[in-house]
Amino acid sequence: MNLIAISINHRTAPVDLREAVYLKEDEIRPFINFAKENQIKEGLILSTCNRTEIFGIPNSNETNHEKFQSLLLNFKPSQNITEQHFQNYVSRDAIKHLFFVATGIDSLLIGDNQVFKQVKDSFQIAEETEFAGYIMHRIFDAAIRTGKRAISETSISEGAVTVSYAAVQLTEKIFSNLSKKSALVIGTGETGEIAAKHLSERGIGNLTVTNRTQEKAENLAQKLNAKVIPFTEFRESIHKFDIIISATASPEILVNKNDVKAALKKRSNNPMILMDIAIPRDIDPETKKIDYVFYHDLDSLNIIVEQNLTKRKSEIPKVEKIIEEELENFWEWYNSLQAAPAIKDLRDFFEDIRNKEVEKNKNKFATEDQEKLDIVTKRIINKILHHPTIELRKADDSTGSGDSATKIGIIRDLFGINSRKKSEKD
Amino acid sequence: MISGIHTINILLPLFYFLTLVVYFYDFLKGEKKLVNVKRVFLFITLFLHLIYIVLRTIAFDHPPITNVFEIFTILAITISFSYFLVELVSDIRGTGPFIIILPLIFQLISSLFIQDLTVVKEVLRSNLLGIHVISALLGYSGFTISAVYGFLYLVLYKDIKLNKFGLIFNRLPNLEVLERLSLYSAVIGFIALTIAIIIGIIWLPIAFPSFSYLDPKLVGSTLVWLLYAGGITSKVMGKWRGKKLVILSISGFIVAIISTILSNFLAQSFHSFY
Repeated sequence: MNLIAISINHRTAPVDLREAVYLKEDEIRPFINFAKENQIKEGLILSTCNRTEIFGIPNSNETNHEKFQSLLLNFKPSQNITEQHFQNYVSRDAIKHLFFVATGIDSLLIGDNQVFKQVKDSFQIAEETEFAGYIMHRIFDAAIRTGKRAISETSISEGAVTVSYAAVQLTEKIFSNLSKKSALVIGTGETGEIAAKHLSERGIGNLTVTNRTQEKAENLAQKLNAKVIPFTEFRESIHKFDIIISATASPEILVNKNDVKAALKKRSNNPMILMDIAIPRDIDPETKKIDYVFYHDLDSLNIIVEQNLTKRKSEIPKVEKIIEEELENFWEWYNSLQAAPAIKDLRDFFEDIRNKEVEKNKNKFATEDQEKLDIVTKRIINKILHHPTIELRKADDSTGSGDSATKIGIIRDLFGINSRKKSEKD
Repeated sequence: MISGIHTINILLPLFYFLTLVVYFYDFLKGEKKLVNVKRVFLFITLFLHLIYIVLRTIAFDHPPITNVFEIFTILAITISFSYFLVELVSDIRGTGPFIIILPLIFQLISSLFIQDLTVVKEVLRSNLLGIHVISALLGYSGFTISAVYGFLYLVLYKDIKLNKFGLIFNRLPNLEVLERLSLYSAVIGFIALTIAIIIGIIWLPIAFPSFSYLDPKLVGSTLVWLLYAGGITSKVMGKWRGKKLVILSISGFIVAIISTILSNFLAQSFHSFY
């Protein structure tokens, strides 16, 4: 198979180089056109903050990974990127690599299912731009199936592996229904924003944000349909919240033990969760000694993150097994696209139909005509299959670039020869 | 039939033990494929237990509720059946091993000491007694399950406070669910015990004209009833919740156990039938 893949990722290049070749969504479509102009007939472009990958089937057998690299660097010029920043894959290895990416085991955060969504989005773009041909389509399907199996059959994506997500998951170990709870996020920097997003995604009933710069809080509140309280007033309102996540850059403690004690009293000892994900800390750690208060800081949340990462790592062999199975299935299908067996299968298929029809109807003919019937029907089948047979042999001999595979694949699909053979096997 | 009863009597603790092993293994490993297997084990054990009770009732001409070892086997099946229902209705599965260990203990003791009792005191052949005992057993099953969930609440509460994120943290349902399960079991137990006490009050003067209101079993049951009544009222009024409530539930269970031991084995009570 003439599939080529290049990858620049978190293992091969530092973040500044990855950023240099990162293709934003509005850059991917022009890049696909650029690739088409440069003899890549079908493929897939995946670009995230941790990786940029190009998978493609070129028109010519002469095209190699260097051509792919120069295509990317011509489109996104970067002097500091050299060949050693790329990983290169060909044929079966390229497909295997795509499966590794789709299942998240090649990600910086192992099992990150965000990348699965990004792979699906890339497939979507490839289809919309008619960059996905017959073979790529089958590769996409196999990759999506592999990704789904990894998620449903293993624990590769289970458990929080970021601090802000761990904070949200921990709240779910205390409260059963977040839709009935209210949360306050103090500080709307990057960490606070992510935590607020996670809470919102998990269906928090009532989300409020506060920030020293009111405008920032209002911007985030607008995005997440949350409320805003002025930073100078939040201390008096903490009793209204079941969950408080604090992520400011404040050098001093913002919420002390007495604040929490007073709040708890007002809440008739209704449990409160305090997540302090700031450095230095925003909430007095002494609050952890108060009954019905669940105080957690970065250290404790990191314990959860580390445990989940270890667990995910232990799931990698199971995912690799799924990848091998799917790769094997795909390869079996791909091998069926060789010209000789395909021609034989096609002829067998037609001969089978002819034979059955002749057997069913021969009694309608006189005994002396039955032999003629056999000869005439065989001649018809031979004439029907003559041109397709010649074309398939020609395509197979000439390029080997996947044209014959595409033709054979379409013929097999049209006549249902794959499924027919499979059902016979079953 | 008698030999069949004896065989099942030996098999039952083994079946409970096997079920416990499957539940415990699942608790440790958390494998998705075991989810239905363990439920099948519990179902088979429950079915065998039901056959055993029906056979005993037919063979010995009375339901097995006339002495403490007969009652233990009923207690084992009511606890397991209640848990089976909880698991089916709530789909909460991580708490199984902590509950199923109790029917195993009760059934083991029952299987070791139960006798082929064909002659029972005339006073124990009363329909009112049957309802009294069954509702009392349902009550105690409810309190037992409530106490187990209460205990699990305390363990998880402590683990979360101390940043211990091990098996307990990963497998148990969240604190609110544990609190709710403990409360609901206690409420069901409380209603059943109330019925048992009312029937007891009606039946007692008829069956035992010389009974005393200071009988240890009566005092114990009243104390248990008062404890749960207080706890449930506090919860309804929004005064008590969480840790306090589950501690009360566990205390009620301990008092219930002490009261049973005292009245059946140590003190002279009209409840000491064995």
